[in-house]
Amino acid sequence: MGKIEWAMWANEQALASGLILLTGGIVAVAGQFRDWQFAAYAIAAGVFVCLLEYPRGKRNKGTSVERTGQYCFTVCVKSFGPLTRNYYVRAFVHAAICVPGGFLLATVLGCVCLGIASLIYLAAAIRGEHWEPILPAKDSARQPVGESIKCPPQNPPPRPPAETRRKRVDDLEGAAYVNPIPVTANE
Amino acid sequence: MSLSVRSWLANEGGKHFVLFLWLVANTWLFMRTFLLYYCGQQYHYLHKMLGLGLCISRASASVLNLNCCLVLLPMCRSLLTYLRGTHTVTSRKARRLLDKSKTFHVSCGVAICVFSVVHVSAHLANMVNFSFGYSEDFPALNVARYRGEDPRLIIMTTVPGITGVLLVLILFLMFTASSYCIRVSNYEIFWYTHNLFIVFYIVLMVHICGGALKYQTNIEAHPPGCLRTNETRLELMGEESEQAGGDGRSCKEDAHFQPNSPETWLWVSGPLCLYCAERLYRYIRSNSPVTIVTVVRHPCDVIELQMLKKDFKAHPGQYIVLNCPGVSSFENHPFTLTGCPTEKKETFRIHLRVVGDWTERLAELLLPDPRTQSEILPMVQQRRYPKLYVDGPFGSPSEEVFNYEVSLCVAGGIGVTPFACVLHTLLDGWRRFRLRRLYFVWVCRDLQSFYWFADLLCALHHKLWQENIPDYLNLQLYISQTDGLQTISEQRYSPLSSRLLIGRPRWKLLFEEIKKTNKRKRVGVFCCGPKGISRTLHRLCNSDRYSGTTFEFNKESFS
Repeated sequence: MGKIEWAMWANEQALASGLILLTGGIVAVAGQFRDWQFAAYAIAAGVFVCLLEYPRGKRNKGTSVERTGQYCFTVCVKSFGPLTRNYYVRAFVHAAICVPGGFLLATVLGCVCLGIASLIYLAAAIRGEHWEPILPAKDSARQPVGESIKCPPQNPPPRPPAETRRKRVDDLEGAAYVNPIPVTANE
Repeated sequence: MSLSVRSWLANEGGKHFVLFLWLVANTWLFMRTFLLYYCGQQYHYLHKMLGLGLCISRASASVLNLNCCLVLLPMCRSLLTYLRGTHTVTSRKARRLLDKSKTFHVSCGVAICVFSVVHVSAHLANMVNFSFGYSEDFPALNVARYRGEDPRLIIMTTVPGITGVLLVLILFLMFTASSYCIRVSNYEIFWYTHNLFIVFYIVLMVHICGGALKYQTNIEAHPPGCLRTNETRLELMGEESEQAGGDGRSCKEDAHFQPNSPETWLWVSGPLCLYCAERLYRYIRSNSPVTIVTVVRHPCDVIELQMLKKDFKAHPGQYIVLNCPGVSSFENHPFTLTGCPTEKKETFRIHLRVVGDWTERLAELLLPDPRTQSEILPMVQQRRYPKLYVDGPFGSPSEEVFNYEVSLCVAGGIGVTPFACVLHTLLDGWRRFRLRRLYFVWVCRDLQSFYWFADLLCALHHKLWQENIPDYLNLQLYISQTDGLQTISEQRYSPLSSRLLIGRPRWKLLFEEIKKTNKRKRVGVFCCGPKGISRTLHRLCNSDRYSGTTFEFNKESFS
């Protein structure tokens, strides 16, 4: 029950597949295997996938945990706008990238793993998820004073009506009244 | 704050020792298998065909055997609870190692992933060598059907190849779903992919039956390398030539090869059967129904649930796992017990905080919205509670509170639940335990949270004062949010209001105080709360300012 965010899992898988593609490509180029051009492509594709998938998206509900140092990647990925927001585009791009990896033995695994990640992105896209960047919230300084200081008092301070307060010079004793709020002299 | 060797050894020594033993075992196994295939006579021809890839792949396979065996053992929770609770493991140091069972499981899992990568890379190299090093001299050794066969075809058409690819895919799914982020946000993905382990083990058993790698059975009759010796002997008749491996003897017969007998099932079947038995036992035990006796709503979104179950025994500090089919059939959620069944009272209770959709739905089922009920109807009506299944109890580090002479329990918010159970048990009788002094520090954000256990704390405080041991329980309550007027105004909670402090606790001063009043003692520090607090406490326990008093750190962790 509850809303599972498939995109988060697809993101982890795509990042791992990018690394696998990269490793397979490096091994094949270093060993100068036959068809090493596919391996060179796999290196470039692996780097691209890793850069695209490194910044984690924001969760719908709850706190999102960033990857270390992902802010600059977030800014880059965000700048592509709807291309990177939409998971249909990502699913299609990953599916297209992974196909040439299948031609070389060293990169076959990376190809299959990226294919699985692309399928899960498709599932996420069908469920209507999209990528939101995690941007640092501008935390407002905590108000040391409460909001009520902005509203003037609605009621007058408690004191007896003006007739009682008016100084009765003829009867000073009778004019005395007890202050409802204790008052101290300014000494 | 510098590290003290004595404190560090007391806190970290045990688990680092186990880690060291595990690393030594892995290294030894790797080197032994590597040397067997590198120097072993029976693998001479195979080694010549495949090169280093053979040795690395087999060595990593033996390490994988060990780790696939060990990875299941820390997850047998009932067995670990039994070991911890019945003090079968008598040394407290050894019991503390059980706290780290999940960490050990993760280490073995990571080792499995790393060595799978090594094993797969080495086997890919082997595929290429099988294909291009196709041997006409020893056709029985070949896995490829002809020279230059596409290695990808070899993978796809042999049993070890296909099962290997399947294993890697399952491992990939399991690994990517196990990151901390996914466990915290979408636990179901982690749980369902991790349950693919049974498919992993079944496919593993099929994988090793492929018989692709063969060893030579008749070394005495056909010493490896003797084919070359035979050819040179034709020129050097009667002379003994010390050729490598040949020793000058002639080949009496052709080399015979036999597939390696698979040994993975020897490693893996024991723990697998143990784990399956444990799951079956837990399923049977949790199938008996649970009666809900009372449901109480507390401030700050906390609900207390009192339940009754036949033959349910628990120690303070243990936790149970709840399953409510009315909310979700497959989700299981752990909750610490806040009250254990005793001889006088058979009910056990939990406090659960409503955060997240499962607990929200459960709260709705247990306590229908009071606004919808009309005030005229009395609350005492037959309420149909949802069916609940309880699995457990399972052990946790907090069970050790009673086994220290002095304990410091630090709770953050709802993390007070294991210690609430401890306090409940102390209310029944404190003499039978080794514990003689308990420092209890409870930090909350909201004043209302203290009302969850205000009655319990005051009752225990009064009882201890009556029995003339007022210094048994040292209570400190902290509110970390400092705005607003905060005080517990009720008269009956006056012990709490006089011990309420605004602001965050100052741990160094607290530790200094504990050290001064408990010289040369071993103090157990138990923390159940946010990471920041537990990290600070851990660092303080390892530091050297408190010579004479050793602080042993025990942390409660979930997920």
